[in-house]
Amino acid sequence: MKPFRHFNAQSVDQAASLMAGYGGRACIIAGGTDLLGRMKDRILPSYPEALVNLKTIAGLDAIRAEDGVLRIGALATLASVAAHPEVLSNYRALAEAAGRTASPQLRNMGTIGGNICQDIRCWYYRGPLNRFSCLRKGGGRCYALKGDNRYHSIFGGSVEKGCVAVHPSDTAPALIALGASVVTSKRTVEAEQLFSVRLSGTTILEGDEIITEIRIPEPSAGTSSSFMKFALRKSIDFPIVNCAVALTREEDRVARARICLNAVHVVPRRVTGAEEVIQGRTMTEDVAGEAAEVAVSDAKPLEHNAYMVQVARALVKRAILACGG
Amino acid sequence: MTGKGTAGFTCPYCGKRFDTFEELKQDILTSHRGSPLPAPEGQIRLIVNGQEHVENVEPSWTLYHLIHDRLGMTGSKQFCDRGACGSCTVIMDGLPVLSCMVLAIECDGRTIETVEGIARDNHPLIESYVEHHAMQCGYCTPGFVVTSKALLDRNPDPTEEEIRDALSGNLCRCGTYPQHIIAVREAAGRLPGHKDSGGV
Ligand SMILES: Cc1cc2nc3c(=O)[nH]c(=O)nc-3n(C[C@@H](O)[C@@H](O)[C@H](O)COP(=O)(O)OP(=O)(O)OC[C@H]3O[C@@H](n4cnc5c(N)ncnc54)[C@H](O)[C@@H]3O)c2cc1C
Ligand code: SF4
Ligand code: FES
Ligand code: FES
Repeated sequence: MKPFRHFNAQSVDQAASLMAGYGGRACIIAGGTDLLGRMKDRILPSYPEALVNLKTIAGLDAIRAEDGVLRIGALATLASVAAHPEVLSNYRALAEAAGRTASPQLRNMGTIGGNICQDIRCWYYRGPLNRFSCLRKGGGRCYALKGDNRYHSIFGGSVEKGCVAVHPSDTAPALIALGASVVTSKRTVEAEQLFSVRLSGTTILEGDEIITEIRIPEPSAGTSSSFMKFALRKSIDFPIVNCAVALTREEDRVARARICLNAVHVVPRRVTGAEEVIQGRTMTEDVAGEAAEVAVSDAKPLEHNAYMVQVARALVKRAILACGG
Repeated sequence: MTGKGTAGFTCPYCGKRFDTFEELKQDILTSHRGSPLPAPEGQIRLIVNGQEHVENVEPSWTLYHLIHDRLGMTGSKQFCDRGACGSCTVIMDGLPVLSCMVLAIECDGRTIETVEGIARDNHPLIESYVEHHAMQCGYCTPGFVVTSKALLDRNPDPTEEEIRDALSGNLCRCGTYPQHIIAVREAAGRLPGHKDSGGV
């Protein structure tokens, strides 16, 4: 890697003021598992002059349940999220998503904040030394549209830019299904509203904005949740498609459901149509299948990724059924 | 560290930034008077295999670079340099991590264990890896041994499933996977205190 300066932040304020001071020429580093790869491959728009390390801020990795809200510090590692007793018992989809992310070593290093802020994995975009100066880098075209797009969006591109790179996070759909919100140094946003398609970015966060905490309301009685991931290998690989479901039952009917797919679109995709299908119904395999059909009814696959539609349909159905009968 | 960067002056104690040197000086006099001098930027203190090291590191060095190229412990191997293979695994504060994706400058105060330390302590894994020939070219082997050691520290009697899970971040191009399960199971049996070890 090329030289840069390095700061161990002692507080969120200090980290934010360092970032503001560098005005876009510095990067935040948490676990570093995404950022260092981008620096090694030199695919950032410009090489950062400095890194601001958040791991030295005391308490930012705490996980605690308090007043009916689960509060997960942005620096909590994926391994600690996946193993936390409260997460395991009440937020199953998140425990499973964090536990199936990357590999055991990466889960000891990668943080939940970094997981939702991570950059896209489109192989043209990730080509070392910015070999493909594509739309997402401010260039003139999308190489995936006419190239190998087997892992790209099946729901079209972003409206303004035409990029079809998917959001690769495993925890994002679980957080969205569970109705999480994201607390930053500037505001609180619904997890669902966090994501966007930007030049060299995947969130709405400003350059000096730092995620401090993720909050998930305690699921109401009768709620269960699940997460499913399809990848080539069981470990290390990014999702080809993943899906999280949170479902609340009253009597034997579905009172509320939230279903979120990811790795199928430029941002995590909540499929409200499928949620409406199961609402008020008694769960059977047929009902789950009907919902899955609706979830992919507006898919428009590219040349090489029609198989992802089938995978998405299967995962939606299985994830719904995994919430129990 | 008080140098004039593109964005002003940085306090060597707390990292706060100032436009002018005068402002920085005023702040140091009011907020940090009497504090011990800050450690020089880039100086870290860490324990590797039980021994303390004080090193001056560049921000761009990875932990792998420090251990392998600077401290000369060449047991850890770098294969992918992108976090995707596990061959550079070391144990940091009890947990297996990938030394190619950790910055050395962020390891101040950490305790690191490498395959050299595991071999020096005559851990039963070493013998059982040799006996079961859990390697072909051997390049991935240190990463597997280190990851297995971290597993046995946490769980001295792992099931086959638990071994598979723990080693699922380590790749072997030669395809030695089945042997690792055998070697780790056997090493577990030889750990002091194990029901089959006959000792301690
Ligand atoms: C081989 C490999 C396999 C992987 N497999 C998967 C997978 O299967 N599923 C998956 O979801 N991911 C996968 N990943 C991506 C992995 O990097 C993330 O899962 C990890 O959680 C990122 O967290 P981090 O703390 O290391 O992020 P970092 O690399 O430190 O940061 C990532 C980005 O987020 C920003 N950021 C970090 N924390 C904050 C914060 N608190 N506030 C604001 N911005 C912040 C950083 O500036 C940076 O741009 C894989 C990575 C590798 C290398
Ligand atoms: S999908 Fe997006 S990131 Fe990939 S080549 Fe096209 S514009 Fe670039
Ligand atoms: S060399 Fe570090 S994970 Fe491959
Ligand atoms: S023994 Fe050759 S890579 Fe594993």
